[in-house]
Amino acid sequence: MTKLIETKDLCRSFGSDETLVVALDHVSVTIEEGEFTAIIGPSGSGKTTLLHLIGGLDEPSSGSVTLSGINIAKMPGRQVSDFRRDHIGFIFQAYNLIPVLSAEENIEYVMLLQGVSARERRRRVKEMLKITGLEGLGKRRPAQLSGGQQQRVAVARAMASSPDTILADEPTANLDSKTGISLLEVMRDLNQTRGMTFVFSTHDEKIMERATRLIHLHDGAIDKDERK
Amino acid sequence: MKNYSQEILGLLSLKLAWRNLFRNTRRTSLTCVLISCSLVALILVDGLVLGMVDVMVGSITHTLAGEAQINKKGFRDSLESELYLADPEDIIARLKKDQAVTGQAPRVIVGGMVTSTYNTSGGLIYGVDAVSELGISKIKDAIYAGEYLSGKDREILLGRPMAELLEVKTGDRIVISAAEVGTSNITQELFRVSGLFAFGPAELDENIVFINLHQAQKILNMPGKVHQIALRFKDPEDAKNPDLPIFQALNRGEVEALGWLDLEPSFGALIAMTNYSTAIVATILFLLASLGVINSMFMSIYERIYEFGVVKAIGTSSMQIIQLVLFEALLLALISCALGLVFGYLSGSYFQENGIPMGRVELSGILLDGNIHTRMAAYQFITFPVYVILLTVVAAIYPAVFASRIVPTRALQRVL
Repeated sequence: MTKLIETKDLCRSFGSDETLVVALDHVSVTIEEGEFTAIIGPSGSGKTTLLHLIGGLDEPSSGSVTLSGINIAKMPGRQVSDFRRDHIGFIFQAYNLIPVLSAEENIEYVMLLQGVSARERRRRVKEMLKITGLEGLGKRRPAQLSGGQQQRVAVARAMASSPDTILADEPTANLDSKTGISLLEVMRDLNQTRGMTFVFSTHDEKIMERATRLIHLHDGAIDKDERK
Repeated sequence: MKNYSQEILGLLSLKLAWRNLFRNTRRTSLTCVLISCSLVALILVDGLVLGMVDVMVGSITHTLAGEAQINKKGFRDSLESELYLADPEDIIARLKKDQAVTGQAPRVIVGGMVTSTYNTSGGLIYGVDAVSELGISKIKDAIYAGEYLSGKDREILLGRPMAELLEVKTGDRIVISAAEVGTSNITQELFRVSGLFAFGPAELDENIVFINLHQAQKILNMPGKVHQIALRFKDPEDAKNPDLPIFQALNRGEVEALGWLDLEPSFGALIAMTNYSTAIVATILFLLASLGVINSMFMSIYERIYEFGVVKAIGTSSMQIIQLVLFEALLLALISCALGLVFGYLSGSYFQENGIPMGRVELSGILLDGNIHTRMAAYQFITFPVYVILLTVVAAIYPAVFASRIVPTRALQRVL
């Protein structure tokens, strides 16, 4: 399998001197295309920080992050913003969507930023709504959708831009068990049928059960890396 | 392709900006009201200033002085009776041919003594042509007792304070004493008070008496000569144009022909001051409105910090966020201006029709009496809204830059 994400000696610390907090301590990990990986660990173990660094949302204190062969760790702001737009799909814990846009428009948003043609946008929006089970709900605004439906829209938006990988920061944390499982099924299905790479940070047992790989973080370092 | 994408993104930002405005309708409404009120206030203040200037100009030009005057050089400063216009008939003939001039009134002006049975006062004796003055000054309108001049001998008009000082009423006898032109011999003539006037400004009512022109020329021994010709133009703006052909033609040699702005340079400064006052009011209003806009935009941004974090995380550039916030400000300004223009027009029309009661105020010898009618002008409805829109957008630059600098990782931690 092809290496998609690679971190080498990745460190991230916040504050200085007495207030110094080491969030990540020399983390080296490789994630291959098509993996359904969960980063797990207790609160404060560095899961979200690792995810943000992989996604180019934050700069490491030292070390490198390579995504699709490109080191994004020291990429300038505008360039990394464009890189995220074209290569990474994000799903956050909640409030993922732009409240004044409909579900369709939210899915279309990143494609508009990418300059995808109107025809292609329409086609992909329709396809994503179908895949995520949101057919008929495209015109609704986020406030008119349930939490689970909103997260499905977030998945659809992340997928629609055809990214190399989807990074999800505790996507089921705000959902009830049934809705969470349903969302996971959608993502697992996308992973299996389309080979889409997913990387989650999670506390959720359900995700852990379905993940093909579990990376255990503890105090900013990899404690255990198990593949199923 | 790139331009096409930029256009699409621009439209997306515009759509987002429009919808964002209505996320908190109360805040948007209040900000709109603030900006609209500033625009309405500015339109009204400027209208009031224009109205006041109109009254002041009218007071100067239509009360007595005329919109322009032709004098011998030096006469206005010294009121020396020897400085008369030697050939007034030629000048009047020329004025009558000029299409821009609608009226001219020849005058003899000399200082003298005004004496009644009971008292004596110094004053300026104006010899005026009763008919010509109707098209130039408001002497007839100012008469509150007795009659206006009819052209008969021995008619004299006195101002109210002078009549009170001399303790005379209509029909009473008055003696005028003045120095003859040329000989400086003192000459005296008996008059009967035919009318009493009140222009308003004390400067005029206390010091001036009017007699018929031919009699003034006779007393002063200056037949056919005048000291001054007052003018009225078809377009009052002509009076301010020193390049007007009639000014060019007459401003030669010993004669000077000047518009009211040159005759009363201090009034020009007063008008300039009123313009400054409008600019100061505008600055204060815009400053307040701008602070309101900045406050409103910041509140809106702070409420959406997480959202900005998300959109930046998924690839929205800083410039696109700046564009979005500026579009929100632009749309806010456009809505506010639309409201402001409607209310500005309605209130401006009302006060233009009914006036604003200002009481009786005398300012630099100019009487503002009763209602000041505001004046609406096209620029108030074109230039002012453009200023409002520009300033609102400029005021939003700071919040927009702030929003563009939101760091996604920090923003995403803010709510969770």
